[in-house]
Amino acid sequence: MKKSFLAVAALCFIGTSWAQRKIEYVEYDLPNGIHVILHEEHATPIVAVSILYHVGSKNENPDRTGFAHFFEHLLFEGSTNIERGEYDRLVESNGGTLNANTSQDRTYYYEILPSNQLELGLWLESERLLHAKVENVGVETQRQVVKEEKRQRVDNQPYGSFMGEMFSRVFTKHPYNWQPIGSMEHLDAAQEIDYINFYRTFYVPSNSTLSIAGDINIEETKKWIEKYFATIPAGQAINLYRDYENLSDKDFETKYSIAKAKFEKNNFIASKDADAQKVIKKYSAMECVIPRPAKTEIPLDKVIIDTVYDNIQLPAVFIGYRFPEQTNADAYAIEMMNSILSGSSSSRMDKNIVEKKQLAVAAFSFAFGMEDPGMGIVAAIGANGVDLKTIEKALNDEIEQLQNELISQEEFDKLRNQFENNIVSSNSSVAGIAENLANNHVYFGNANIINKELEKYLAVTKEDIQRVAKKYFTKNAKVVLYYLPKETN
Amino acid sequence: MKKIIIFSFLLAFNLAAFAQVVKTKTTVKKGATTKVVTKTQEPLDRAIRPKAGIAPIINIKDSEVFTTGNGITVVLSENHKLPRVSINLVTGSDPKLEGNKAGVSEIAGQLLMSGTTNRTKDVLDSEIDYIGASINAGSESIFLACLTKHLSKAMDVYADVVMNANFPQSEFDRIVKQQESSLLSAKSSPDQIASNVESKVNFTNHPYGEVMTEATLAAITREDVVNYYKNTFTPTGSYIVIVGDINKEEAIKLVNTYFGNWKGVQNSKADLGNGTFNKGNRVIFVKKPGAVQSTISISFPVIMKPGDMNQIPLTVLNTIMGGGAFKSRLMQNLREKHAYTYGCNSRISITDNGSWFSASGNFRNDVTDSAIVQILSELSKITNEMVTDEELSLTKSSMAGGFARSLESPSTIARFALNIIQNKLPKDYYQTYLKRLEAVDKGTILEMAKKYFTANNCNIVVVGNEEIVNKLKVFDTDGKIEFLDAFAQEIVDTKKADITKDQLIEQYIFAVTETTTLKAAEKKIAKVKSMKQELELTSSAFPGALKMTTLFQAPNKDAMKMEMQGMVVQKSFFDGTAGESSNMQTGKTAMSAEEIAAKKKSIGIFPELNYATSGMIYELTGIETVNGKDYYVLKINDGQADKFDYYDVKTFYKVKSIQVAEGEETATSFDDFKSVNGFVFPQKAAMMVGGMTLEGTVKVLEINAKIDGSNFK
Repeated sequence: MKKSFLAVAALCFIGTSWAQRKIEYVEYDLPNGIHVILHEEHATPIVAVSILYHVGSKNENPDRTGFAHFFEHLLFEGSTNIERGEYDRLVESNGGTLNANTSQDRTYYYEILPSNQLELGLWLESERLLHAKVENVGVETQRQVVKEEKRQRVDNQPYGSFMGEMFSRVFTKHPYNWQPIGSMEHLDAAQEIDYINFYRTFYVPSNSTLSIAGDINIEETKKWIEKYFATIPAGQAINLYRDYENLSDKDFETKYSIAKAKFEKNNFIASKDADAQKVIKKYSAMECVIPRPAKTEIPLDKVIIDTVYDNIQLPAVFIGYRFPEQTNADAYAIEMMNSILSGSSSSRMDKNIVEKKQLAVAAFSFAFGMEDPGMGIVAAIGANGVDLKTIEKALNDEIEQLQNELISQEEFDKLRNQFENNIVSSNSSVAGIAENLANNHVYFGNANIINKELEKYLAVTKEDIQRVAKKYFTKNAKVVLYYLPKETN
Repeated sequence: MKKIIIFSFLLAFNLAAFAQVVKTKTTVKKGATTKVVTKTQEPLDRAIRPKAGIAPIINIKDSEVFTTGNGITVVLSENHKLPRVSINLVTGSDPKLEGNKAGVSEIAGQLLMSGTTNRTKDVLDSEIDYIGASINAGSESIFLACLTKHLSKAMDVYADVVMNANFPQSEFDRIVKQQESSLLSAKSSPDQIASNVESKVNFTNHPYGEVMTEATLAAITREDVVNYYKNTFTPTGSYIVIVGDINKEEAIKLVNTYFGNWKGVQNSKADLGNGTFNKGNRVIFVKKPGAVQSTISISFPVIMKPGDMNQIPLTVLNTIMGGGAFKSRLMQNLREKHAYTYGCNSRISITDNGSWFSASGNFRNDVTDSAIVQILSELSKITNEMVTDEELSLTKSSMAGGFARSLESPSTIARFALNIIQNKLPKDYYQTYLKRLEAVDKGTILEMAKKYFTANNCNIVVVGNEEIVNKLKVFDTDGKIEFLDAFAQEIVDTKKADITKDQLIEQYIFAVTETTTLKAAEKKIAKVKSMKQELELTSSAFPGALKMTTLFQAPNKDAMKMEMQGMVVQKSFFDGTAGESSNMQTGKTAMSAEEIAAKKKSIGIFPELNYATSGMIYELTGIETVNGKDYYVLKINDGQADKFDYYDVKTFYKVKSIQVAEGEETATSFDDFKSVNGFVFPQKAAMMVGGMTLEGTVKVLEINAKIDGSNFK
């Protein structure tokens, strides 16, 4: 802490202050393991209510790929107390909006509501966590919808397959090998038992982060969280409760050796019956173990070259490298390195490859910020008539220059000014703040990273940038993909 | 500097979620972790849904508006939450037709950041990037965003771009080359293609309908770009929108310092009409080899200007139809019920220069026709039946919520203020927005649907795999699918002609004179001593009708007169040796020697008969296939202009004539051929001149009637 303050002070060389707006928040754990983060600001009378479930495509069974994302679709279908199709209606008819997304690492659901509808948002999310309900008609519909989503985003999009093609070659063992959209054959093969198991394994309190930001009163919000979330059973007791709701009296008794009638529906975890309490205690104490893949992956030790034929007009080249996980200390230097290469008019690849040499219509370098060691991509879409080899060489030249020469002081100052601008401008919406706080908590174990970004970037040196360029742009271990137009007619 | 409006208001209405409330401030705790001890819980019946709390106030902060001496209107929306400022200059001219140089505005926008008289592109880029700022330029606006502490540095560069962009030839060449590649890649983007075609069919001969193609790009020169810039980026009529961490005093000073001395031409306004309306449904297909989905867009123009009293109810209608999120009819039907798509939405775009509705989505190949059926049936249903109370109240609440959420972004407030000024809306337009939204009822929605929506006069654009095209015929009222390319151009296929140019003329003469030998034809034509034709012309660009009278007097006199409501707006005559034209604006002009020479090459009611002897240069270029129909194309040149005449290969009638002079194209098409006194004449003609379509109907056609000689003087 002290050290970085000194660093910041030393950096005020142009006489202006480097300042990022501090995001204040409160955070705590509920006894059942739900992590709660609350940010209060009153500029606009709206509130963002979100839950991050720490489950993504990397937690999938290799013969059920696409399941985490498919499941996200299914969790809009309803719950014990919400009819099919009612979920979005409740949000929209109360002036709100909702959506969700699934990455390799997590599934994220949110509503943005008028601030007087906060309690509704909490109730909706508690229903989704506690006892979602999926009917067969919903499964069949969403199966088709997801297939259309894949056609629209991947199959029918020029270069739309590049992520899948790249990840499947850069990762052979780690589940980053497949994409969140997954395999349509796997979705077709999915059975009811798969859904039930997925829900019981991953949608449990200890795997959830409830993040709320906006026009709220912290004390009142805490009370509602107590009401809707603290009453959700802990550990395996949540699945005991789900069985209590779904199994017949007979099946329940066979499974747990206790009659359903001993439990109180509206006061489940505090059921007065002593036997019921015993069972609840027993199951509450049984932890939900979340299966997580090993982070490691066999090292990439060679250059893999492949060609993909796509419905495109301009050829492109994509070069993939193994990059570290987003929590790695090098992540900040890597982001800055990528900004030197691409993203603004004066960045090197834009200036040299696109503008001066006119070899490409677009060129970029970026890192996928991921929980486990991930990937960086350097790519260019060729200008009409330019040979891909020439473009690839130009990309490699830029990388080599970065590895061989320290960047100039002027370029370095520019970079820092750009990051200051970006960070100051970020966190301008309550929805964005809720999401950042949740991500930081889950991936970094520290929500306060949201307030440390500028500091972290300003600590990066020119030497760091050269070092990461050398370390991660590995000349002899990479995947090169050429995209060429498919012959048509 | 004159201040025109200052407005500041609080919104507080009883619409669903938002109303008056007294808010209490709570102190925020520092980000420390606190453990919460669970107390004994009250029983909780989860079936009971939470009730809304007291509705919060919607607070729209002050916007300031002032004008400068050189004609700029400045809109300021102060917001000090973050130490940053954004500035957007929006030009004040209406778009213009670019014709065979379509795309010149786009190229100019892309080139704006290519250097100024004071800075090369490299200097410009590095100065802006160095301070972490960004400047984005478009055809009609230039946007700056930066941290407050860098504002004056950023303004130096920004104002330089706005006023002194210099478009170096080398940069022009580079951008054109880059654009050639972009046009290529646009061919592989189904959304881009659908959007090109949608614009073209709804706004034919309107700036919105112009699409840059490889040919128009090649025709654009650096001078065109410079002219565009000079005529467009001018202080008069323009707006500067300032948002962020700056107060009024500073803003006034800033604008005066940087733009006080800016000079330029007068901005220009135009009435561009309301778009192209169909009779019947029209299917337009663009082939995309290898497509696994069809991109469908069903659209039609809407007659509405921003701020129209019907705008809010029409927006509610569109939101119910497909503009909302998951609960709209299109989404419920096509995604949730039929699972044809990941998403199907509709939007209504209302602008000062043209408005339109469009419903679109991506659908797997084998349900393309089913998806069209469902979209059309939703359009038909909504124009015939009342929406439900539930839908209406859901939509209104959801729109009110969207309105409130939009206020989170400081640029929204500035956009509101700009809309009010640009579109001459009442000052309290956004203040009363929620109240007027609340007032919309079911009856009004149905009225809107009947007035503005249609399921029977739509443009159905499909971009997809050719294998599905036959299934689309049923949707086209005349059963003829039109095929366009990725840039919404007709697909033209030229073959070698199977006859000579003189054989073509012979066949044409036989067809229009209903004869089988040249001798008979000549004899028949010789009997025509005079002819009079009156054509009634209408257009969506002006009210009422124009009357166009053309006269012919054997052997070589002719005259033309154009009248509007009895007033002659234009006329011309040729008496065999000399002639004159006159119009209301410029008065009389005598025909030049060159014009007379050209005129003499096309005398008579069927001048083609004399091409071989009149000195006309003519050649048969071949057979062109346009939308599945074949035409002989005869290129003629009378020394003044090139003309291309299209003859139907089966009937030999002349169905289209395109004249190209000084880069301007005038196209006339002919239809409804009927026999009159032994001659076949078209009864209908459509002319496309200067961006306007004129629909013509023949009202009078007389042969050998008496014509007053004064018409030829």
